[in-house]
Amino acid sequence: MAAVTALTAAALVLGASACGGRATTHHKPGTSHEQAGGSVGRLLTADDGSGNRLRQVDAEGAPSVTVAVRPDSEDGWNVHLTVRNFRFTPDSVGGAALLGRGHARLFLDGHPLARVYGSWYHLPASLVRGAGKGGTELTARLYADDHTAWAVNSAPVQATTALSEATSAPEKSGAATPRPDTTLVEIVVSHGKVSPDPGRTEIKKGRTVELRVRSDRADHLHVHGYDKEAALPAGRTVTLTFTADRSGLFEVETHESDLLLTQLVVR
Amino acid sequence: MSVLAHGIGAQHDLPLSPFYAFAGAFAALFVSFLALGLLWSASRFRGDRAGRPVPSALQRLADARPTRIALRALGLAAALYVTLQLLLGPDDPDRNPAAGAVYVLLWVGLVPASLLLGPVWRPINPLRTVHLLVCRALGRDPAAGRPLPAGLGLWPAAAGLLAFTWLELVAPDPASADALLVFLGGYAGVHLAGAARYGAGWFDRGDAFEVYSGLLARLSPLGRRPADRRLVFRSPFNGLDATPQAPGLVATVCVMLGSTAYDGFSDAPSWITTVQTSSLGRTTTATLGLLGAVALVAALYALCAGAVRLISGQLPHPLTAFAHSLVPIALGYLIAHYFTLFVTEGPRTVMVALGADDPAPPDPPLGPGGVATLQVAAIVLGHVLGVIAAHDRSVRLFPSGRAVAGQLPLLVLMITYTIGGLSLLIA
Repeated sequence: MAAVTALTAAALVLGASACGGRATTHHKPGTSHEQAGGSVGRLLTADDGSGNRLRQVDAEGAPSVTVAVRPDSEDGWNVHLTVRNFRFTPDSVGGAALLGRGHARLFLDGHPLARVYGSWYHLPASLVRGAGKGGTELTARLYADDHTAWAVNSAPVQATTALSEATSAPEKSGAATPRPDTTLVEIVVSHGKVSPDPGRTEIKKGRTVELRVRSDRADHLHVHGYDKEAALPAGRTVTLTFTADRSGLFEVETHESDLLLTQLVVR
Repeated sequence: MSVLAHGIGAQHDLPLSPFYAFAGAFAALFVSFLALGLLWSASRFRGDRAGRPVPSALQRLADARPTRIALRALGLAAALYVTLQLLLGPDDPDRNPAAGAVYVLLWVGLVPASLLLGPVWRPINPLRTVHLLVCRALGRDPAAGRPLPAGLGLWPAAAGLLAFTWLELVAPDPASADALLVFLGGYAGVHLAGAARYGAGWFDRGDAFEVYSGLLARLSPLGRRPADRRLVFRSPFNGLDATPQAPGLVATVCVMLGSTAYDGFSDAPSWITTVQTSSLGRTTTATLGLLGAVALVAALYALCAGAVRLISGQLPHPLTAFAHSLVPIALGYLIAHYFTLFVTEGPRTVMVALGADDPAPPDPPLGPGGVATLQVAAIVLGHVLGVIAAHDRSVRLFPSGRAVAGQLPLLVLMITYTIGGLSLLIA
């Protein structure tokens, strides 16, 4: 694994130094901006679902992408694309397809969200709110400069990650219910005391529960019944998010100090 | 390791919605006063003498020596299995079936088993079998021993029940192998010593699980008629009426009611806050809570017995005379509190015992509304059975002019217990 990473890094460095400077455009004089230019790979009749045809290349050396999302401290998520055998070439977009070059597009539950020319993208929560409820999925797909989608084995080169509630952005402290379908429970443990005093939180079945817990000692958070656990590093606020999909009375506890933090009444 | 509220089990029943509780309380009140006016005026229950004999084949099967030996072997094998799991198995209640076997299959499972089949723990009790085997080896008669002190009655059983419920509800880590080994070892030691001194008859009155199972079996349709040793089908009222009025019966019933009540309010966040923040330490505070619950139940009962004595004049044992009528109320509490635990953690324990690694418990068979209905129905039905049992006892004991007045204090007490039980389910 490390060797592969090192090789990749070396290849990238070599590649970068070999090409150097800004990417040249690949517009030949007089070429139009029509789609599906260039002769790299094989153009399939299938399209990507939004009218762009697939451009199939051999699996070996084909572009690939992985996508990761992490919550932003202020709003929404930060999306990070990791690509291999691929460079973002914003300067030459619209030109003919060249192997391993182009851009990426992001889709939210299959709906086009944005075109990106780099590995980072900030996704504001406001854009997600309108999307499907619950397990929203973010897909990143690689395209060539001529807007054909790179494909291997007739399938577009893409990666999908769940924009689940668990990775949703924590809101500012003190804010009330962050989203209409989320119940926020904030608890602070200090010197073996739980504040506010352990009580019962009524939750309608199916809602999202966001537990925000801070402990002055390193500890373990456990939601009984749902068996959700999280490490509580000392002094850090940890957010545990899950969907309350089973009815009953469930205890939220810390395991080292054996404190009951609250009881969730799901009905 | 975590604190497990019931010794075991991760999910609790939802708090009862006030609608169910009010409906239950109203039904209990209504039935109580209806009973005063409408029930019979001469005692109907014949206790020990009642019952229709079961088919003789069934009786022969129940009394057959192979059946008895098989039951003893089953008890001994289960005890051995639990002990070995505690000694050698993983010290993790999610993966070790021992805690579930003790707290769910034995403790809670005794309730339905005794209700259906009678005092089942007596033929299974592994301590009895160990005592029997040791006596055989030494060439002694297992029944031989000093006579039990007259005043002892069921007191050892009441103490044993309190100790076990303390372990289950108060002890810091009730599901850990250490806690269970210490308790079960100590319990076995005490009772084998008792049996060595007083003979096998010690278990009848001293063994907490036998007495517990025996009291609940009073409500079983299957019983044994003492006069001719026949197995009979009988009305639960007759079984209840035949409950021996031994010293310590009140204490045993009060421990049953009080510990189940404590189990209810120990789930309330306000009590948990008290325990977590008490300067006395958690275990001490929780111990005081359990003792307080038992003492409160007992004090109310004593108050009621005093009132009965005032109203009715001379009664030889006003305390014990009505204790049997609290057994159905205790049973109602038990069903309301432990039904879900039994039907989810019971199968889970069996799955763990069969080798599944930390299986998920099955979904409860009843939805929240079903559980709430069952809880209220159990408590109200227990109340109704208790009222009827007490009514029959009072028309037998009191002169006819005082029978209605004489049972009033008891009626008030039962309504208090029942509404108390319902409010514990709301909290």
